Amino acid sequence: MNPIDPKIHQALDGEIPRAALSAELRRDADLLERAAALLAAAPQEGSVAARVMAALERPLPPRRSRVVRWLLTPHAVVLRMRPVWSVALAAGVLLLAILPAPSGAPALGDEEGVAQFVARFPGARSVAVVGSFNDWRPGSIALEDPDHDGVWRGAVVLPAGAHEYMFVVDGERWVADPLAGRYVEDDFGRENSLLIVRPVAE
Amino acid sequence: MDVGGTLSDAEVVARVLGGDREAFGLVIRRYEPGLLRYATRILGSSDAAADAVAEGLVRAYRHLASCRDPGRLRTWLYRIVANRCKSQLARRPTADVSLDDVPPIVDPGDTEAALERAEQLALVERALMTLPPDKREAFVLKHVEGMSYEEMSAATGERIPTLKMRVHRAREALLRALKEYL
Amino acid sequence: MKAGLLFLWLAAPLAAQSARARLEGRVPAASIAAIDSLVQVAARESLPTEPLVQKAIEGGAKRVSGDRIIKAVQLNLDQLRAAKALLERAGDRAPVTHAEVLAVVAARKRGLADSIVERVVAALPDEPRGSALHAVADLVAHRFAGDSAADLILAAVHQGLRGVRLLDVSSAAIQETQRGRTRAEALALIARELPNVPPPPPPPRATVLHARRPAAAPPPDEP
Repeated sequence: MNPIDPKIHQALDGEIPRAALSAELRRDADLLERAAALLAAAPQEGSVAARVMAALERPLPPRRSRVVRWLLTPHAVVLRMRPVWSVALAAGVLLLAILPAPSGAPALGDEEGVAQFVARFPGARSVAVVGSFNDWRPGSIALEDPDHDGVWRGAVVLPAGAHEYMFVVDGERWVADPLAGRYVEDDFGRENSLLIVRPVAE
Repeated sequence: MDVGGTLSDAEVVARVLGGDREAFGLVIRRYEPGLLRYATRILGSSDAAADAVAEGLVRAYRHLASCRDPGRLRTWLYRIVANRCKSQLARRPTADVSLDDVPPIVDPGDTEAALERAEQLALVERALMTLPPDKREAFVLKHVEGMSYEEMSAATGERIPTLKMRVHRAREALLRALKEYL
Repeated sequence: MKAGLLFLWLAAPLAAQSARARLEGRVPAASIAAIDSLVQVAARESLPTEPLVQKAIEGGAKRVSGDRIIKAVQLNLDQLRAAKALLERAGDRAPVTHAEVLAVVAARKRGLADSIVERVVAALPDEPRGSALHAVADLVAHRFAGDSAADLILAAVHQGLRGVRLLDVSSAAIQETQRGRTRAEALALIARELPNVPPPPPPPRATVLHARRPAAAPPPDEP
């Protein structure tokens, strides 16, 4: 790459006046500015306004497909400290904005949120979430894998704040959530996953 | 009468956060042209740019409460759209962009001067697309969107010295390319 | 003051009673008495008892031996005491609230040095510290230096951010390192952005329709 005279940069950055440039340098500066002016003046076709306003009217669909897509890639079962996703899911395995609740859905208090648990255990017969929020009882929150693709999911209403938990696979194998992003020692030689539930009314 | 033209960004944001969804239309009208122009130059495709800007604006609406300083709304919006553009670029198999995607701007009814301008624009666009995305972005933000280096830093998350270097390299490459074509 | 103390003295056996009932059938029978006495000690010292009961039940659920459960409960009692002492050192007036004790315990369990915890506690004298401490701990877990992490989160607090928004600040800094920046660059970048922390990436969405409530948890023993 051929460097150009630094004075051109200084002039274009407003650090020195144009008059300080020689005629030849001024021609080069003008050429660049004309190019920029052409780009700036080029008419833009179309507008996204209608599309955006229409999108704002629609309730948000479940984003499970995004999570599932991520889970099904080779780096799906991730231990902590991997791509943006692990932090994103850690921060977000907590709260989700609430969709308009159809009748029969639990009404949420101001200090409650919804946590979605997602885990990939292909071949498992059952996956349960066990933690401080259900007195560590393995039977009470079972995740579901309705399409038998090895991805287990469940959504739980929880008080806002921090909760320790693990998954129990097939009733006997205790596993920290690989997607939690936060872990604490359980004082029994293992680690619990930690989630922080965001309150609905932020 | 476009009352929206007299409202500051802070007032518009306050209205939207107060529940006036339609007021977000003012944000779109104000910033869409620049955002589309920017995204088109980065992605080299008006369709891809429309997707990036539309997604970015929807995201901005949903997270408007987190823009606590509406005085910096513009750079905040550019930041969101820049991230959308980067996501799109990352998903492409190569970084190359087909020049066929660069939007045609010739109107059959144009005068000769307009046609010449159109040809020059096509040349400039071709030269611009030879730049790597980060330098292309830096040139567009500085010279097409007219941002200061401080604003560019807020919009891209990059340090000012880094941005200056990219702008300088972009100017050098563009000048060389323009001199070849012209 | 005397009435308060009387209430606490009366409350202690009540706490112990409810603990025994919850431990029956959940932990090895031979360990119940020892665990129970530790719970009573906590109650008398105006410390939260729920974490101790939870730890015991957790150990029982994980099929850990009675001895190890007792050791873990003792360890947690020590942690509660240390948290209370830290809060008092940092200026909280007695009786320190249970929520703050638990927040400090969590922060120390997640690896924050006492000096960092004290710094955050002292910087937020009149408000809950839980989110700030977790945000700092998130950064430290990703190998940010404790003091630098605290600098960023306290700067965010200074700019008006609170609660879970502080977690967004730490998420944003962590994401910048995952994009290739050094930790110092990430911290400087996010600090410059404050209070405009980039929105977090869209979290997964769950339908409230399918959200269930777990079995009712016992009420917290906040004084």
